[in-house]
Amino acid sequence: MMSKILRMTVFLAVACSLAFTGGCRNKNPNDVGLYGSDNLYGDPLLGDVPLADVDGLPADGDRSVVQPVYFAYDSSTVNSEEAGKVEEVANLLNKNKWQGVIVEGHTDERGSREYNLALGERRSLAVRDYLISLGVDPSKIQTKSYGEEMPDNMGHDESAWRKNRRAVFAMY
Amino acid sequence: MIRRFFVGSAMMAAASSLAQRAVVEREGSGTISINLAGYRTGGDAASRGFLSVLKADLNRSGYFRVTSSGATVNVVGQAQAGSQLKADVQVYKAATRQRMLGKSYNASAGDYRTLAHRVADEILYAVTGKKGMASGKIAMVGTRTRYKELYICDMDGHNIRQITQDKSIVVAPRWTPDSKQITYTSYKYRNSPCIFLTGRGRPLSKDPGLNAMGSISPDGKTMALILSKDGNPELYTKSLRTGITRKLSRTRRGNEASPCWSPDGNHIAYVSDSSGRPHIYIISKDGGTPKRISSSGTENISPDWGKNGYITWCSRVGGKYRIVVANPSTRTSRVLETDWADYEDPRWAPDGRHIICSRTSGYRSAIYLLDTLKDSPVALVSGSGDWYSPAVSP
Repeated sequence: MMSKILRMTVFLAVACSLAFTGGCRNKNPNDVGLYGSDNLYGDPLLGDVPLADVDGLPADGDRSVVQPVYFAYDSSTVNSEEAGKVEEVANLLNKNKWQGVIVEGHTDERGSREYNLALGERRSLAVRDYLISLGVDPSKIQTKSYGEEMPDNMGHDESAWRKNRRAVFAMY
Repeated sequence: MIRRFFVGSAMMAAASSLAQRAVVEREGSGTISINLAGYRTGGDAASRGFLSVLKADLNRSGYFRVTSSGATVNVVGQAQAGSQLKADVQVYKAATRQRMLGKSYNASAGDYRTLAHRVADEILYAVTGKKGMASGKIAMVGTRTRYKELYICDMDGHNIRQITQDKSIVVAPRWTPDSKQITYTSYKYRNSPCIFLTGRGRPLSKDPGLNAMGSISPDGKTMALILSKDGNPELYTKSLRTGITRKLSRTRRGNEASPCWSPDGNHIAYVSDSSGRPHIYIISKDGGTPKRISSSGTENISPDWGKNGYITWCSRVGGKYRIVVANPSTRTSRVLETDWADYEDPRWAPDGRHIICSRTSGYRSAIYLLDTLKDSPVALVSGSGDWYSPAVSP
């Protein structure tokens, strides 16, 4: 209970500060878009923590523990409906049920493969930043982008694309 | 001087300073008729193959039209092969019978295609003074093994060879400036995206997180790349001698992707979505304030900076991916006329006139050749899975 209240407080603080920075950015019409004021979760301005060395750490994990987080088109924002999955992972890691997690970022097939590689990493990092804000030790989180190279659904319509814009948790 | 004569008045202007502008503005481009009817071959497959590849290369160059009578330029001589292919080639201006090229070539008979490509480029140079593309090589990703492996082929789409056998995923191939090796991103180490160089086992970059899209500078000393080791995908350079990295972009809210070098090696063009949508930017190799060069289109991605000074990239226009050619100093640009398919990942051919790209229709991708002066897409590599992400040897 206590931790839930604490978490909500962190959220509100984050939401307020981002609403403020978002508002500033919106003065320039060019800045409205992907990373505008709606970016409440996993904003890299919160984390921006260098990635820990991965040598010697597992390179794979169990993907069946927590369901993937899904994203909107060309967005790396963890939206509120998806945030619970990240909180579940944070909970497991904070209670030391698992040693660590590889957050695997994916995109749909639209756009260039190269740009999508960066976008997939942004999704992994947004989830990572959110995990860090929930108190997870950054050295327990690896990120990996597959871009559009490993779709979950091979279809070519929005119902397939929605399944493919995801961050998968590989727990180890 | 003599070779300039044949280019004709419209092309003559293009041959000098206006050549650069022609790419963007599409000035008239006549073709020179060239006659190979008097060229003799033996009964063997190699010499006949040599001649047919040579004719196809001359036609594909965009500067010639191969005819069998009444041409401006005549090519005569003979080719014959046993285990060795020997080709004598003489090129004459028809009107004055002035010789523009006279040379004997030798190659192993199995290499008749390579020899034909070389001769085609030498004929083009002798007649127009221009660098050809026939001897170039294309690197690309192919899916025919169900994995995504690196392949190379000739500029006519023939001679396809599989380079990697990693049973992994290859992304973003780029040639080294000496055209001898290829950098690429692969998941073969730890199942993580790292940058590799053909002919070298250890990765060129394997920091935590994303290591991708490595592109080596014209002097061969520095690699531009995308890393996320500091907590966000950013554009970096890495010294290939010391391994020291340097962060060039600082966009904590944005992605960077697809760096490529200016011909003089002083600038890097790349993609950033720091404005909210992906656009093309130019930054000094030493960092500083980037300059945005694309303005229209909902996505501007995958730039390639040609030795001709022009940058080509892929732009989403009216729901389709199309090819843009732009002059970064005047900021003028043109969208190439293409059909309803998606055209992506444009890369300059060594002649500075043609562009190699991928064309996707019905969710199948193939490698295509575009002529920036004529807008006529030609399929080079298609079938047996998908082919995409081309890179052309400089």
